[in-house]
Amino acid sequence: MRRVLTVLTRPFTETTGLARWMLVVGVALTAVFVICAIFAPWLAPYGFAQSSDHGVRFQKLAHPSSAHLFGTDRLFFDVFSRVIWGARTALEVVILSMAVCIVIGVPLGLASGYYGGWFDRIMVLIMDAFYAFPSFLLAIVFSFLLTNAFGGSVIAVSLSLSAIYIPQYFRVVRNTTLSAKEATYVEAARAIGASDGTIMRRYLFGNVIQSVPVLGTLNAADAILTLAGLGFLGLGIQSTEAAEWGHDLNRALADAGSGVWWTGLYPGLAIVLLVTGLTLVGEGLNETLNPTLRRRRLLPVVLPSAHPANPTQEEQN
Amino acid sequence: MIRHKLVAVAGAGALALALAACGGSDSSGGTGTDTSGTGDDWILGTTDTVTALDPAGSYDLGSSTLEYNLYQTLVTVPPNSTDIIGDAAKSCDYDDPQTLTCTLNPGAKFSNGDPLTSEDVKYSFERAIKIQDANGAAIYLLGSITDTKKDGTVVLNKGAIETPDDTTVVFHLDHPDTTFQYVLTYPGAAAIVDKDVFPADKKLADDKIIGSGPYKLDSYKAGDTAVLSLNPNYSGPNPGKTGRVFVKYYTEPSALKLAAKNGEVDVAWRSLAPTDIAELKGDSNVTVATGKGSEIRYWVWKVDGPVGKNLAIRQAAAQVFDRDAIAQDAYDGTVDPLYSIVPPGYGGANEAFKDQYGAPDKAKAAQILKDAGVKTPVNLTVGWTPTHYGPSTEDEANEVKRQLEDSGLFKVTLKSTEWEQYQTIYKEGAYDLFVLGWFPDYPDGDDYLSPFMVDGGFFQNGYKNAQVNKLVSEEQGTDDQAKREQIFGQLQDIAAKDVPFIPSWVGQNTAVYGAGMKGVEDTLDPSFIFRFWLVTKNG
Amino acid sequence: MSRGGSGSLPRYILQRILLVIPMLWIILTLVFLVMRVAPGDPVSAALGSKLNPTQLAQRRHALGFDRPLIQQYWDYLSSVLHLDFGTTFSDNQPVLRVVRDNGGATLTLTLAAFLIALVVGIPLGLVAGRYRDSFPDAVIRLFGILSYAAPIFFVGYLLQAYVAGPLGLPTSGDSSPITSFEIKLHPKTHILLVDAILSGDGAAIEDVLKHLLLPAVTLGLLICGVFIRLVRVNILQTNQADYVEAAEARGIRRRNVTWRHAFRNALVPVITVVGLQFALLLGGAVLTESTFNWPGLGQKLVQYINERDYVAVQGIITIFALAVVLISLLVDIINALIDPRVRY
Repeated sequence: MRRVLTVLTRPFTETTGLARWMLVVGVALTAVFVICAIFAPWLAPYGFAQSSDHGVRFQKLAHPSSAHLFGTDRLFFDVFSRVIWGARTALEVVILSMAVCIVIGVPLGLASGYYGGWFDRIMVLIMDAFYAFPSFLLAIVFSFLLTNAFGGSVIAVSLSLSAIYIPQYFRVVRNTTLSAKEATYVEAARAIGASDGTIMRRYLFGNVIQSVPVLGTLNAADAILTLAGLGFLGLGIQSTEAAEWGHDLNRALADAGSGVWWTGLYPGLAIVLLVTGLTLVGEGLNETLNPTLRRRRLLPVVLPSAHPANPTQEEQN
Repeated sequence: MIRHKLVAVAGAGALALALAACGGSDSSGGTGTDTSGTGDDWILGTTDTVTALDPAGSYDLGSSTLEYNLYQTLVTVPPNSTDIIGDAAKSCDYDDPQTLTCTLNPGAKFSNGDPLTSEDVKYSFERAIKIQDANGAAIYLLGSITDTKKDGTVVLNKGAIETPDDTTVVFHLDHPDTTFQYVLTYPGAAAIVDKDVFPADKKLADDKIIGSGPYKLDSYKAGDTAVLSLNPNYSGPNPGKTGRVFVKYYTEPSALKLAAKNGEVDVAWRSLAPTDIAELKGDSNVTVATGKGSEIRYWVWKVDGPVGKNLAIRQAAAQVFDRDAIAQDAYDGTVDPLYSIVPPGYGGANEAFKDQYGAPDKAKAAQILKDAGVKTPVNLTVGWTPTHYGPSTEDEANEVKRQLEDSGLFKVTLKSTEWEQYQTIYKEGAYDLFVLGWFPDYPDGDDYLSPFMVDGGFFQNGYKNAQVNKLVSEEQGTDDQAKREQIFGQLQDIAAKDVPFIPSWVGQNTAVYGAGMKGVEDTLDPSFIFRFWLVTKNG
Repeated sequence: MSRGGSGSLPRYILQRILLVIPMLWIILTLVFLVMRVAPGDPVSAALGSKLNPTQLAQRRHALGFDRPLIQQYWDYLSSVLHLDFGTTFSDNQPVLRVVRDNGGATLTLTLAAFLIALVVGIPLGLVAGRYRDSFPDAVIRLFGILSYAAPIFFVGYLLQAYVAGPLGLPTSGDSSPITSFEIKLHPKTHILLVDAILSGDGAAIEDVLKHLLLPAVTLGLLICGVFIRLVRVNILQTNQADYVEAAEARGIRRRNVTWRHAFRNALVPVITVVGLQFALLLGGAVLTESTFNWPGLGQKLVQYINERDYVAVQGIITIFALAVVLISLLVDIINALIDPRVRY
């Protein structure tokens, strides 16, 4: 527990100046949205697909007013409520997809890096092929596919995002494993006859998992943009299933010409702020955890991971 | 400024064009030599897409818009009418309900100078069927002269088309079918092509096509631009008046709206979003013209589903269905309420749902359910798709949900999925009530009734009614128009009583045009034929 | 670092080239599977609202969509091997022509965006890296993050709503109809801007450039954020490298060190990443293209996916993938030439 706390606070204690400020602002921004997401039912005045209150129909495309802080949209929905509920959708999708990425990407990368050989080569090839595929198009096609299998589109969209990010996790974890498995303590464990499973679980996993948070936050930011992009193309989550910012922005485009600005501005700002928050956190973490960027009083120590092509790979071939 | 340059680029021809534009008075045309036209060139902007310009590979509005102007069919439909008049043929008449004889206009020619004879007509049908293109209308609409083999191959009946001489074509139908003459007006199934130009067993490339219509194709870039010019060899009844007509294809309605607003196109036709039309109505630089439409939207009950099988539930929903509110709230008044599956303007159309249910009424609906002993609220799964019928479908689905729920009789769960998936699962019964759209193939009430009501319709909703089947074959087997229209009325009344579907709205045929344009209104009718020959520009 | 023959450059390049083949094969298989498993097919996409299930099944049969997958897969692979990409189902165009006609627009947009990103991003990144933790650094980094955080379509929406109007800039398409009819129908290179320049028609060139401006700025901003980050980080890393410190110790002025050593070294990874960003760019281009109705490949591809046009989607993605794989091959080879550590 203590260790977890130390790890958690390390980014704050070990950074200085601008980097710390960016981290603080990022965490604060993200926290606001997380709070919105968790407490949406209490924070939002109305439901995300509610078009009347106490039997009185809302006005269509009403200007922002005290009754509707951000106005109402074409569907008679309250924009303010949808912005708040949108945070919940975004976080649900991101958490779900990240979880899947970690559950699939990390073990695959670990095994691939540890065992090496043909298995590794084939895995790398497949993952690289996925990587070469324009990711956004992959998401489009997968969202078609998975809506078919799951019906509910929150899950479908989450999984299609996972399909994009798994190769990245795989890559990072595999490369870290490659260098970590040459460490003396791993050699020692092997010498005393620990099984492959034990080595991977006990010794490598803890080492390798450290690279995940940075990637995770940056991917989360990217995932929110992709989610919104799908919504914008009309392929994502529809309005009555959940509130989704990209979808609302898409519908708002048609009204922009006739002076209706509030339906598009607020969902758009929500995306920008949340992605900014997450990116700031990711960059802040990166500066702390990535030794070549860290500003410290001591002389920098160059670790092997600083070079993407590290010499240990040579032994593989 | 730039526009003048356009004329200059055309080179030598441009001079003639400019002169003709000055002369201006001679509009008799039809002499077969006037290639310059009397008005200025104009630009049509549209978001429709073109599947193919070879009639053998097209069954969609985007393609037929050009084909109506590039090809002739034997017969055609004049603006705002459902009568049939000659086009390439002087006339087509039923000798009996199974034999149709057409007499061609003598001396007709294709734009390349080849003569148009009965052989070309026969060849056009034969090749369209032989090519079997899935995107071609011939294999779907020519059921009366074709047979479908077990493996799905469609073949022309032996001796179905006879050509006793150069100007006579006789169709022998395999069953009495008076809708066949309407099919002959549709270029996707019946455009006449030059047998010396079009290959017998495969489609011709879009930019190589030759027809005998008032215009010929000068150049074409798929999804982007098409340029048509007057066909010098045209001798038919509808000579064009404009030297060249340019067509610009847009991908988004919003882009088309901007182009119309800024005068980059002279006419914007199909399809502007409801909000855009509302906005352009307030713009003094352009005119919004509307004619009657034929595109309809309707909500289908899964009649063999657990909820839809209960007639009282279907009727109660029809009883509270408020079409005016849908037209207003979801479409900003750019569509008209539809009270029968056959839209107004077609022979025999009535307002069966209005007659049956009157104004939306919660109390009456509650009574219907109560009489049938149905417990309320009734849980309904309502389906719609965001990817096929435009973004406003979402607004309509939400409006329908509100209406049903405001009655206190229904509890609605809205579900949506992408179009391909939607088609599969509505047939499997994923939704109790789901929205679909229809666009007619030929201007006849039958095209709104037989595909919907016979044996569960093409959407397979499980509705079966022996009387309907009998009435439909009766109507198709007679050429007595009065009798047919009377049967159409009966069928619509049955639909209102049995409620296998609830008609929602009928679209308008809307065009937006700029200064100097004339004749646009004349072509806006339910047939959705954009007749280039009726439109002129004098700027 | 290299050992014996296994590290020789020609051998590495050969290995890398040989790897392209299985890579392409996997991508081809992926496209094929994804399209076949996705619900629907070209026939139901085009005619599902017209035909009854029996007719649909007959058409599918006639087109061979109900044949065993493995057989369809084989036909597909062999036609690709013959470089026969087929004709699209939904609009009757040879796939190669679609790529040619729309690829030019995507290329123009992408290159213009790149140019904007380079001109804006690299100097900003340099300044931020050089004056680390200063006020300019903070502002530039924030700008970088915001330009990345703002979704393309939101930036596009803001530009269309608030910038285009006052400046009189067009917001959709790659040219006005007049230019299309003059230039596009008589193409020389199939790249509109080049054709316009070749035609020497001032009005047309101006028109094309005006149409290009907003989409290029929108996409450029996105890449610009990536550039700022990259350049800045690399400047920081090289600044901390031994030789820079050594140079400083020798009394060479800091500014000279940054420019002479750090800058040059920092650009190498930038170029690498730029090459690898190609796939991302194409993805970004899809959104930019649909926001601005830019008639490029990305927009076409989305259209064909919606129409389940197997032939078109397979063809376009194959060509996309070919481009991506070849570019990454090129980047790897260049890297190997520059930096021997890469070879192994």
